[in-house]
Amino acid sequence: MSQAVSSNVKGASIEIKHLGKTFGNVKAVNDVSLTINAGEFVALLGPSGSGKSTVLMSIAGFERPSEGQILIGGQDCTRLPPNKRNIGMVFQHYTLFPHLSVGDNVAFPLKMRGVAKAERRRQAEAALEVVRLGGYGDRTPNQLSGGQQQRVALARAIVYNPQVLLMDEPLSALDKNLREEMQIEIKRLHAELGFTVVFVTHDQGEALTMADRIAILKAGRLQQVSQARELYERPSNLFAASFIGEMNMLPVRWDGVNAVFSDQDQIRLPDTASIQPVRPGSAILAIRPERLSIAAPGTEGSWKATVRDVVYAGAGSLLITHLADGSEVRLRVASAGQAPIRPGQEIGIKVPPEAALLYPADASQ
Amino acid sequence: MKPGFFEADGRRMSRGAILLLMAPFFALIFFAFIYPLGSLLSLSVLEPSPTLGNYERVLENPLYATVLFRTLRIALLVSLLSLALSLPVAILMANSRGPKAVFLTACVLLPFWSSVLVRTAAWAILLQRNGLVNDFLQGIGITSEPLRLLYTQGAVVIAMTHVLMPFMVLPIYGALRNIPSDYNRASAICGAGPLRTFWEVTLPLAMPGIIGGFILVFLTALGYFITPSLLGSPQEMMIATLISQQMRENLDWPFAAALVGVLTLLVTIITIAFSKVFRFERMLGASA
Repeated sequence: MSQAVSSNVKGASIEIKHLGKTFGNVKAVNDVSLTINAGEFVALLGPSGSGKSTVLMSIAGFERPSEGQILIGGQDCTRLPPNKRNIGMVFQHYTLFPHLSVGDNVAFPLKMRGVAKAERRRQAEAALEVVRLGGYGDRTPNQLSGGQQQRVALARAIVYNPQVLLMDEPLSALDKNLREEMQIEIKRLHAELGFTVVFVTHDQGEALTMADRIAILKAGRLQQVSQARELYERPSNLFAASFIGEMNMLPVRWDGVNAVFSDQDQIRLPDTASIQPVRPGSAILAIRPERLSIAAPGTEGSWKATVRDVVYAGAGSLLITHLADGSEVRLRVASAGQAPIRPGQEIGIKVPPEAALLYPADASQ
Repeated sequence: MKPGFFEADGRRMSRGAILLLMAPFFALIFFAFIYPLGSLLSLSVLEPSPTLGNYERVLENPLYATVLFRTLRIALLVSLLSLALSLPVAILMANSRGPKAVFLTACVLLPFWSSVLVRTAAWAILLQRNGLVNDFLQGIGITSEPLRLLYTQGAVVIAMTHVLMPFMVLPIYGALRNIPSDYNRASAICGAGPLRTFWEVTLPLAMPGIIGGFILVFLTALGYFITPSLLGSPQEMMIATLISQQMRENLDWPFAAALVGVLTLLVTIITIAFSKVFRFERMLGASA
């Protein structure tokens, strides 16, 4: 690999302090504070309208924050125009300049920085080699496939060794196989070049597999920032719990020790079940479908349930059941070695108490 | 009509349907353009007897060459001037939203509501000896005597630029409007300031519109009749006026037809040269 791109770049830290952005009377971003360490890979995850793109565009400099501050590498960039920020960015729709060849596209940032022609041609070719498109420099962008175009866009974003790389749903326009290939490619580049990555996506799988930390946004507010495992196993609130993966949510009464169902069935929960203290009263018991297992009906400590539907999906099967009080419970169990189960059948559901999470029922939290 | 005639394979129309829908257009082009042009051109080589004599006359007398070159020069001046004036207007329009955009579009389109004759006459009033322009120039002391503005080449160029400008503004506006804003962002994040982005990205991507507008204005100006004949003097005669003169005053249709032949040849050569130089199709393809 060429020296131009392998000269071990260290990323810059990004500090977002009390960021706010108002469009008309809509608060797109509301008091978001987030510190991203140098060289870290952070995914901004949320449904559309959650403000994740606005946060990214504020880091890039395309949106001027209504409130708050953004520091890149310790320098206040809040009012700095995008062309002075020296950061790389990959857009959703590649945005390669159609009037320039692939090589000239990649060399464009170097040209803007006054690099001499022969040198920028050499560096552009080196960057194309990094994304495994060496020798493609003379083609025009529309001669390349979508995946290749996005790799060229990646080469253009890293060719000048920026300390920060921003990515705005860069893989959403690609089909599934290409997407997975690009995920690996981006992770590899991140590991090799060491820049800081901020990656916007609405695909939770993508966020979980790629990012060091994931920031979840909803309606302009930051919900949780944590590593993938913690986010999945101990989501900090109901929104995070329901947004990531599948989750059974059962209304219960919490008496401080036991979660009591409306039919007086109850489960004793360990202290670790509640991420934040939950006051006695109505609460939500949350549990992942793959943590539940099937038992013979009436087994000690199991819940009585009636099977409504069985969805066979190869390695695993999805069982949709309902409890005596009518609330729905889904189970994901291995298909192999399972006695056949039919809709209408009564089963027992075994619940490991350590798998249950408890949240206050108040939706505003 | 068989099913699928207008929707063969759900997306495209059958060949028959396409031909049927294009028929009125081709009929119009044939009867209003190809047929009259063809009969004029055949007149130029068949009357009074099968001959190239009419074309020899065009080449023999240097007066006709002078008119032809003057026409080319005026058309080029008008095209360049309207390009210079239209580019800022089109940029402003493309960057405007809401009521401002409506207002600007109205300003460009409003002149279409009045006839070319009215707009040309308006310039005659403005530029005459005791017109608004002369009054103003004398008022601020640039000149003590009224200047001769009317019946000059300048008057012809100004008025033709005014009349033809919308044909330059609209294609450029269309091209600018079709450039996704992401390109500007990509350019900015690559380190280009606004001016650099305009020069390196916006202008090349708008080139099909600019060339389209230029060709439209240039070719229209070549055959322009009303404005030059009302605002110019015989010393500034353009080819269209000459042709009209030959037809209506001298009743020399074969010679007028030969002039038309020369003009048509010239227009064809210029159009082909333009598309060769700017690789027209490729640029249209690239802008998609």
